[in-house]
Amino acid sequence: MNVVRKVITGRPGVVIILTTAFLTSVYIADWNRAIPRSSGLSGIYEILKGFSQPDFSQEFLIVAVQATWTTITFGTSAIFLALVIAIPVSFLASGTLFRSFVVRITSVSVVRMFLALVRSIHELIWAWILAILFGFSPMSGVLALAIPYGAILARVFADFLNDVPQPPLRALQSSGASNIQTLLYGRFPSAYKDMLSYGFYRFECCLRSAAVLSFIGLQGIGYQIEVSMQDLQFGQVWVLIYFLIALIVSVDWWGSKLRRSLAE
Amino acid sequence: MMYTKIFSWPFCSFLLFCFLALTSWTIVLKDSDLLEFFSGGSLNGVLDNFRHIYNSQISGQSDPAFLSFESWYRAVFLSFRTLLVSILAIGLAGFVALLTFASGSRNLAMEGNSPIRRPFSSLIFYLLRALYTVTRSVPELIWAMLIVFTMQAGIVAGALALAIHNFGILGRLCSEVVENMDQRAIRSLRSSGASSAQVVLYGVFPDVLPQLLTYILYRWEVVIRTTVVVGFIAAEGLGRQLRLSMSWFHYDEVIVLLTCYVALVIMVDIVSGFLRKMAA
Repeated sequence: MNVVRKVITGRPGVVIILTTAFLTSVYIADWNRAIPRSSGLSGIYEILKGFSQPDFSQEFLIVAVQATWTTITFGTSAIFLALVIAIPVSFLASGTLFRSFVVRITSVSVVRMFLALVRSIHELIWAWILAILFGFSPMSGVLALAIPYGAILARVFADFLNDVPQPPLRALQSSGASNIQTLLYGRFPSAYKDMLSYGFYRFECCLRSAAVLSFIGLQGIGYQIEVSMQDLQFGQVWVLIYFLIALIVSVDWWGSKLRRSLAE
Repeated sequence: MMYTKIFSWPFCSFLLFCFLALTSWTIVLKDSDLLEFFSGGSLNGVLDNFRHIYNSQISGQSDPAFLSFESWYRAVFLSFRTLLVSILAIGLAGFVALLTFASGSRNLAMEGNSPIRRPFSSLIFYLLRALYTVTRSVPELIWAMLIVFTMQAGIVAGALALAIHNFGILGRLCSEVVENMDQRAIRSLRSSGASSAQVVLYGVFPDVLPQLLTYILYRWEVVIRTTVVVGFIAAEGLGRQLRLSMSWFHYDEVIVLLTCYVALVIMVDIVSGFLRKMAA
């Protein structure tokens, strides 16, 4: 009996549950619709042909560089705003500012619940909502990225602030530091490296999300991909995808360099 | 001394990031009409819509969607379809990633511990890593656009788009777990004469499984959020209905759908957290 319980509640149980869920979904899915469109085979042929003959003409390269720059612009301004939002909110969500237990618990649970709610909505749904409310301006796009990313960053930063080693904090407190001073001189300095490297990882994600802001009609790599696809110019689509890959890979490389130098 | 300190990586990165952020903000502020933004473009239209719904309910013409049982029932059904897409997607991605991660980790592929022979194993290693990078760099939505171009929209098309992107992410995470694991288990199995397939099965897999499960569950939480957006394009579940309701300006329906969406996401977060605790 004990063995059975161990298997069910432990790791094998998880594997069994996940496999069952997956197989059930495979069974329910409408595989009869998973067929190529009537034009599908020629579509695949067109896509592959574009892959072998990317359009590296000068005019299009200029378009692609501009689209990439627009995407960088949206992504960077959004993650910057997200950081500006996240750092003060993470102080609140970590609950280290208040000494009274009741105030701390209420503020932490209220802020964290709010963050969970904001986080649960995808950035493109935010984009759609903001575009309906405030019009289709770049500002809506930037806010749409900054709001959910700010919530994610705030929650993770709060966890980092909570998980710092305790001895330096106790030393500060026993020498009479206030809560804010302990936070700024004790917790923040021990957590900021983790915060930086996580923030950088999110920067990469944010650029990827910024690429699909074409969803609400904003310019960028996704927009150009859509335009080229409507013209059936798959050579151009592949060039844009290469630019996107190059952008993500170089930010990834920058981040790993940064992480390594921070770890030293 | 001073020289290397000032031009260190973190400092230069900080400067470059600040430069990028400032330039970007200048461009964004220049391009968007802030006056129009804060006067709330079509905010009035949305409010009018709700006023209209409220009036029509007062005069007994029709119930708004969030008061009718039928629209909730339909939204829950659509949520179920969305959940199905997300499970199918993460299952496909996880399955293929689990099949390939051993050949995609440097320590197994390069030191002759891969089931495949030496020159081929390093070739496959580089190919797989390139594949992970390509699939990871392109967002789900762009994969969805490409897939819908060739395939009928539906559950499978949406799941495929999500699976391709997450395969890249999971594959890379899993290979990195193997590269960072304790190498002594591999060496000791090796020296007691285990074949490379046995090394992977008995040395690597049991050691990294908890981490892989954690990553798969964590990505599932991300996938459920994205499934709705992919549904916009791949015409499936909540996403499709959300798009239709939005383009018909049925904001009462939008509220029902968004509530179901948030509830679904929070539910998946809870289930995934529970399973992760079980797996740990």
